[in-house]
Amino acid sequence: MPQQTVVAGDHLGAGLGLKAEHLDDILALARSPKGGATSIGDDLWFEVHTENYFVAGGPRLHYLRAIRQNYDLSFHGVGGSLGSDHQSMPAHIKQVKALIDEFQPALVSEHAVWSRSGGQYFADLMPLPRTHDALQSLIDGIDCYQSGIGRSILIENPSNYLDFTSEMDEPEFLVEAARRSGCGLLIDINNLYISSKNTGIDAFAYLSKIPAELVGELHIAGHDPDPELGQSLLIDSHAAAVDLSVWALLEQALDLFGHRPVLVERDANIPPFAELLSERQTAQRYLDQWAGKKLSLSL
Amino acid sequence: MSVHHYIDAFTRYLRSGDASAMGHFCENSDHIKRLAVYRNGFYKGCVDALAANFPVCQKLLGSESFRNVARLYVDLFPPQQGTLVGYGQSFPGFLADFMSQQGAAEPSLRSLLSLNAKASASLNLADIARLDYAWLTSLMSADSDKTLTAENATILMEQGHDLARARVRLNASVLLLSVGSGSLSEWISLKIPNNDEGAQNSESSAAGFVMFWRVQGAVQARALSLAEVALMQALQGEGKGRLLGEAFDAALEVDENFEVSDVFSACLQNELLDIEML
Repeated sequence: MPQQTVVAGDHLGAGLGLKAEHLDDILALARSPKGGATSIGDDLWFEVHTENYFVAGGPRLHYLRAIRQNYDLSFHGVGGSLGSDHQSMPAHIKQVKALIDEFQPALVSEHAVWSRSGGQYFADLMPLPRTHDALQSLIDGIDCYQSGIGRSILIENPSNYLDFTSEMDEPEFLVEAARRSGCGLLIDINNLYISSKNTGIDAFAYLSKIPAELVGELHIAGHDPDPELGQSLLIDSHAAAVDLSVWALLEQALDLFGHRPVLVERDANIPPFAELLSERQTAQRYLDQWAGKKLSLSL
Repeated sequence: MSVHHYIDAFTRYLRSGDASAMGHFCENSDHIKRLAVYRNGFYKGCVDALAANFPVCQKLLGSESFRNVARLYVDLFPPQQGTLVGYGQSFPGFLADFMSQQGAAEPSLRSLLSLNAKASASLNLADIARLDYAWLTSLMSADSDKTLTAENATILMEQGHDLARARVRLNASVLLLSVGSGSLSEWISLKIPNNDEGAQNSESSAAGFVMFWRVQGAVQARALSLAEVALMQALQGEGKGRLLGEAFDAALEVDENFEVSDVFSACLQNELLDIEML
């Protein structure tokens, strides 16, 4: 069984999800005297949803090439459906591999979920039951994905809105999938916070069960209360600024895992680029503070 | 509990809203209604993708009516690929069927799907959707490294090549389609308000032939004369392409006054042609 320590992307700091609305701003930033990846962001990088680039050509790819010339990229898949329907994966993975071959992203990730069944794609991230059966299906999907693209990936913990029958807790499920497939973990701090509120789990205890060497990336994002149920059901909307509680949980995660690339996600109610960049700078400060703590402890 | 049973039950819920089979898999039966978050996410993702892929259609129908119609489409034709890029290839045909059935629909359904006055007056909704999708397809089509530009045409002629004997074909971004009279001008007026040039172009084609193409990253649309249609159809197809001279002969057969030189210059300027010898 593969065993590995995930270190890919450890040179990255805080990054941003790439939005079409910001492409010109990002390229202008890259062209500005202080805007290159070596000054503003020290190590600013961008994450894209891989499937958004399943196009033969045109401006979408042209822009991505221009951005890649200046910044590191992370490819984050949302349609791989690692937990189900593996027979239709090869065609999907072929397109992912073509993009990876061209753009050489620093990180490649997917979700520990299912989204395809019976030849249909459900365009959302449905959690798997945490059973041995589902674990094997997930591992098979990860194996298929990793062998198809020729490199290891990170898998992300889902947002949970309710509890499904399970034979193990989520950290055990994810760690076992990682140990047996050789993949790493992308811990989405916002997903974890939402799951803790929606299903009553202890978020810090969850983090404590994850071996640091398996963690390759952290995500943070905003969430919203359900329009009907309010705070008793938090929705992973990516439509708001990162909540203070999520920032606090990020700090705890950094204390446990050490420096990891941190991505600020925003997929709706997209603010001006400067506002998102400011939120990203906050994430970078968390990383810098962690480095400062580490330095003071070692003196 | 088998993961396959779980996914089958979840799939049934997502497709029909029937959560009865999910009870076995939920720890807390009071929380089953929370499954709606996933179903809502599925529909929202698909409907948002259709709205993005058919923006003029949405403008014509109005947002609420468009979303109602789009949701029906998602029920009948859910995505099959693990991406929503390009989702909706059969949406224009669905709209054509939908519009023809509107009059016979139950009153409650007509009310739910009530179209705004402008959309109801339009006989061209399916054409508008086809034009939206053609624009999208051209935008995402493959780039070419064999484009015949004015510059390399000059170089080839200086090298002694007879361009009339060169094999050329249409660039992958070029799409030809036929729409009803007035559809293109209606689409352009909604897509680019105050664009008089586009509207004038559309009036020049009684037959309703439209060409989309991409140049310098921007998609263009233009109505074609019958002779231009003959030229473009002669240049269509896979393989090594058609002799350029033969293609222009096809246009001259339709219109003996066809301006070969002007149209060839326009083809070069708009990067419509790929050439094998480059």
